[in-house]
Amino acid sequence: MHAVIQTHKLAKAVKGRTIVSDVDLTVKQGEIYGLLGPNGAGKTTVMKMLTGLIIPTSGEIMLFGKKLNESAKEGLKRVGSIIEYPIFFEHLTAMENLQLHCEYLGFYDKRAIRQALDLVQLKDIEDKKVKHFSLGMKQRLGIARAAITKPELIVLDEPTNGLDPIGIKDMRDLIRTLNKEYGITFLLSSHILGEIEQVADRIGVIRNGQLVDEVTLSDIRQQRTDYIELVTSNVQRTAFLLEHELHMANIKIVQENKIRIYDEGVSVGQISKLLVSQDIDIEEIQKHTSTLEDYFYHQIQGGDLA
Amino acid sequence: MIKLIELEWRKLERKKVMGEVVIYLAILMFLPVFLLKVAFADMPEVPFGNSYAEAMGLMLPIQLGFILFGASLINHVFIEEYKNKTMALSFGYPLSRQRLVMAKTLFIALAVFACTLVSFVLAGITTYLFDLAIDVIEGTPTAADLMTYAVRMVLHAVVVALASLVPLFWFAIWKRAVIRTVICAIFLMQLPNFLGLLRITLNPDLLYAIFSLLGVISVYLSVKLVNRLGDL
Repeated sequence: MHAVIQTHKLAKAVKGRTIVSDVDLTVKQGEIYGLLGPNGAGKTTVMKMLTGLIIPTSGEIMLFGKKLNESAKEGLKRVGSIIEYPIFFEHLTAMENLQLHCEYLGFYDKRAIRQALDLVQLKDIEDKKVKHFSLGMKQRLGIARAAITKPELIVLDEPTNGLDPIGIKDMRDLIRTLNKEYGITFLLSSHILGEIEQVADRIGVIRNGQLVDEVTLSDIRQQRTDYIELVTSNVQRTAFLLEHELHMANIKIVQENKIRIYDEGVSVGQISKLLVSQDIDIEEIQKHTSTLEDYFYHQIQGGDLA
Repeated sequence: MIKLIELEWRKLERKKVMGEVVIYLAILMFLPVFLLKVAFADMPEVPFGNSYAEAMGLMLPIQLGFILFGASLINHVFIEEYKNKTMALSFGYPLSRQRLVMAKTLFIALAVFACTLVSFVLAGITTYLFDLAIDVIEGTPTAADLMTYAVRMVLHAVVVALASLVPLFWFAIWKRAVIRTVICAIFLMQLPNFLGLLRITLNPDLLYAIFSLLGVISVYLSVKLVNRLGDL
């Protein structure tokens, strides 16, 4: 699978303040890539640079294997996007906006406009001025515009912002449909893990303008660590017993009264039974599962996985 | 480039702009007669009504009014697009910002040039018809007068088109300030009058050459520096 987007040391500074630095991002053909990070982390800035809206201060962007810069923007013909929120010429009708878009891209297929509107389930709105549209309708129209020329890559910045729950679900379904049925690669951003998690194949975590991690969801699920946490007043003896009686090797004393047991195949019941038989008091014993949320929380906060 | 210029026209609020043009044309069409018959009626030292050749001295500066129309177009085509972020849409298309700015600038220049030409023709015809009816200018226009008017009309329309772009770089692309763009246009338009009031004598053709040069410099800087100033 070759890379649709590849950046090298991408950086943007505004008035001497670094917004994004050293971003090496790779989006592979056919995947849904989610850019995750808190508000102000630099997601939108990265997306703006990738879609030609702002010029990087330094670094390189390869789009479909070709360098993207002010004098070489041909790659953008193969990209659809909505950055921040869908922007239209509000005094023009939906149809006029879509026609303008097609003409700027040198795309002349009148049927495609109708198909794109059908795709996002916008009906009988062609002659309605965009200023009369709700945010949800604008979002749909934005997707229609992004998809109209059948691009190979669609970049959506916070695509569910301002949508109601039904709108969010529709958007998610639409992204999946376009990805699976039309093979369109997606680059999405969000500050909400739950949203990205439901559609993305791979996630890039951005923090303070830097891409700190790129990982597939399946990898994280495999890495997910379950453990049993035990609180007792006699940590040393407990650890000894677990090692020698239950043959555990993966034990960690995390506090003076707290032990974490990472070994699989031993139940809470077995441990409790052993410790009770040895007259060791158990203040608390609980099984923990670290979630995707834990993983990304630590990535975003800059900590290591527990 | 022609396609890009046409797209600029299609993006405009055309009814609003056409309305503006009609108002400008209507005012400038009757202004020479109004000035000759009303404003300068009791001023025998003002020579414009003495002959058609003298009237030319009045007809030319009046059409500087279209510099203000240029400012209005700069507002629609540049400042509003920056402010409502539709400029971002254009930056996302596979064409360079410099080409885009050039297309927008050419659109404004062509529109101002065309409107100024039309206005010259309408003002000339209206003044002549009024002259036939109520005797506004002494004598009748000669073939040489008509030829001079036609040539000056084209040259002057070029000057107005270029002068209308003077505020483009500093006030529109850099500062994105509507009011300052309009004030700059009014100042340029009124400069010949201000100079007269201050009793400063400056060859009008030299003044028009300076206006044109400033317009060209403004366009050059706009195209050259848009990559540095154009981020949203």
